[in-house]
Amino acid sequence: MNWEYIASIVNSTLRMTTPILLAALGSAICSKVGVFNIALEAQMLIATFFSIVVNYFTRNVYLSVLAGIFSGALIGYIVAVLQVKYRAADMVIGTSMNLLVSGATSFLLYLIFGLRGKLVDSSLVSLPKINLPLIRDIPFLGRMLENLTIIDYLAYVIAILMFIYLYKTVSGFRTLSVGINKEASESLGTKALRIQMSVVTLSGALCGLGGVVLSMGQVTMFTENMTSGRGFIAMAAASLGVSHPLLTIVSSLFFGLCQSIGSALQNVIKSQLTMTLPYIATILALMLSGWRSLKSKNGRSI
Amino acid sequence: MLLEMKHITKEYGTLRANDDVDLSLREGEILAVVGENGAGKSTLMKILYGLEKPTEGDIYINGELQKFRSPHDAMAKKIGMVQQHFMLLQPCTVAENIVYGHEPKKSGIFFDRKRAAAITKELCEKYGLSIDPSLIVSNCPVGLQQRVEILKVLYQDASIIIFDEPSAVLTPQEVGELLKTIKKLASMGKSIIIITHKLSEVMEVADRVMVMRQGKRIKEMAKSETSIEELSFLMVGRHIVERKIPPQETTGTVLDVQDLVLSGSDKKNILDHFSIHVDAGEIVGIAGVSGNGQSELIECITGLTQITSGDILICGKTIVGKTVGERRTAGCACIPEDRYLWGCAKQATLTETSIMAHQREPAISRYGILNTKGIQKFTSGLLERYDVRSGGLSQKTGELSGGNLQKMIVAREIELNSNLLIAAEPTRGVDIGAMEFIHSRLLDKRAKGDAVLLISSELTEIMTLSDRIYVIYDGKVAGEFRKQDATEESLGILMMGGESNEPKAV
Repeated sequence: MNWEYIASIVNSTLRMTTPILLAALGSAICSKVGVFNIALEAQMLIATFFSIVVNYFTRNVYLSVLAGIFSGALIGYIVAVLQVKYRAADMVIGTSMNLLVSGATSFLLYLIFGLRGKLVDSSLVSLPKINLPLIRDIPFLGRMLENLTIIDYLAYVIAILMFIYLYKTVSGFRTLSVGINKEASESLGTKALRIQMSVVTLSGALCGLGGVVLSMGQVTMFTENMTSGRGFIAMAAASLGVSHPLLTIVSSLFFGLCQSIGSALQNVIKSQLTMTLPYIATILALMLSGWRSLKSKNGRSI
Repeated sequence: MLLEMKHITKEYGTLRANDDVDLSLREGEILAVVGENGAGKSTLMKILYGLEKPTEGDIYINGELQKFRSPHDAMAKKIGMVQQHFMLLQPCTVAENIVYGHEPKKSGIFFDRKRAAAITKELCEKYGLSIDPSLIVSNCPVGLQQRVEILKVLYQDASIIIFDEPSAVLTPQEVGELLKTIKKLASMGKSIIIITHKLSEVMEVADRVMVMRQGKRIKEMAKSETSIEELSFLMVGRHIVERKIPPQETTGTVLDVQDLVLSGSDKKNILDHFSIHVDAGEIVGIAGVSGNGQSELIECITGLTQITSGDILICGKTIVGKTVGERRTAGCACIPEDRYLWGCAKQATLTETSIMAHQREPAISRYGILNTKGIQKFTSGLLERYDVRSGGLSQKTGELSGGNLQKMIVAREIELNSNLLIAAEPTRGVDIGAMEFIHSRLLDKRAKGDAVLLISSELTEIMTLSDRIYVIYDGKVAGEFRKQDATEESLGILMMGGESNEPKAV
């Protein structure tokens, strides 16, 4: 193993982390206001599709990114209306949204383009890659940060901003209070429902951005179900990071690393096996955090 | 007159919760509104606080007609309410809770938590209430949490403060503190309405008393012109007779707790070599300030917590290591401390609640299939015999009033016909009528020759009902008394951790 290899693992970890982190932040902020949103997968997948659709017709990066964000937010808003406003069961809404979007994107792919499976076109434009001047010439660091997109950096900025908003501002405090005790927050005039709905919509937008990175970052294409469970991994990351934005960065990096190792080992071990690595890690991580919280709960009751 | 409510009527369907009620309040006065559960006190206050709209009637403040559509409108007119069920953000600090809604800001958007703490301090000094602003609410005892609620109302600059059953959840010490606070607030010019059914508290703080019964205002008088006896007569509508409990021979030990040790997380024993016994045909009281190991003792006996060492026997057979179900079959029924947390499932219907622990009886189920008719008969029987006022068998348990739910749980546990009944705080927060009723049922149980272990923080309850009394302090038995030897003073000293001067009784 050499430095070059390690740097390339770090580089691929960073790229793998971005979509997970963005979706995990979306999941985290939903749990902070007491909404259990499991439609993350749908929110991401729809964005991968529509960003590529807009990309195909306009060849404009900015419009494509916006299309991704908006389509994700739209799914988020639908979830908000059904789950928060009309109090439909979260499991039902989340699962059906995930299935619906999965089917709808495949269907639309066929309807619009007459294609099955995937949409690749050489004329699609990808997100511009940033190679920082000076840093790119430093051997190890340069390789680590090679060819990242602006969104790869932005994800961390968003996490930090989210932390500042939730824990340092008055408005963030009110937002948190809704998740802590909705009744109490309402009794003092906070419009809890509106806050919950905006937050779920925002989580859609964040997942949308995560979807855009998938379809226009490392590769520029849409394939059916290309999110392949990242929405669920993101839920695990958020839960492992106790829905705290900064801790969620750490847990997302962990899952990014697992994915990166998984794909790096593909040549050594059968790929079917390595692909399971992130999911095994998810189960182990959730068991660990569950065991820890169980232990601390028991400690308190005695 | 600061506040007047005139001809208030509130109807829920066919039920008249309030029937042409008048209420008035002067500045700096403490008005007590008393009545049994369901007398319409809370409804009246909800109307005043904008949570409910009256079917008829008007509210005037300083002679001006008011229309309250929400608590927000009421708050704007300086009416504040300290709710019975606290509206607090448990994981947040005291200061954060107090300033909520009008948080101090830095540069327009940032939450100035230092100022919030300073504001809390100022507020505390101004009203002579002490509390550390940086404490996390969930770590505060109930009394302090209530103080946070009071400070919240004061921060909103309320001049009329409503206390809804403020002492229901407090320990006797905390009640004393609370009453002092209420008097102090009134002396500073706040006008106070206190809703309660504890008449001793009324006699201590109120200037005026208004009695309600079945939605009507029965009578209103100055405190100096009335007495506890008169008030309880007006509340219940009949005279409460003092109870005569016939002496009774005991036969054999039912519950035997031997040298029980339960160690805590920090090596300190929560229950420390604790030995008690309860015989058939007696009620044994455990007196003590709550938090001295009573809850854990119940959990050890019922099987919710595993003991560290020692032995617990029911009718001579050890139950250590047995499951909760096996212990129940062995003859241990329990009226739990917290009726909502342990006693019922709030979303369950009354029939479901009533058959919990009865589910395997032949009248309820056969071969694992529930017998709907049998269950309905069983439940209606319970509701009728134990005077539970409900809206029908399919009502949600959580919708019953506190007193009625408690009667329901008492009914269910007594009907198990077990050798041992553990009754933990069996009358906490219920009105005089329900309390009398529950006490009678416990005495019936004793008369049948069963054993009752009574755990209560109400000393009067312990002293009235028990044949024998143990005092628990810091997880140890601090003393044991026969009924005739126990006085409030001697128990009180031991409860506070003092040493008894007399040689140990019994």
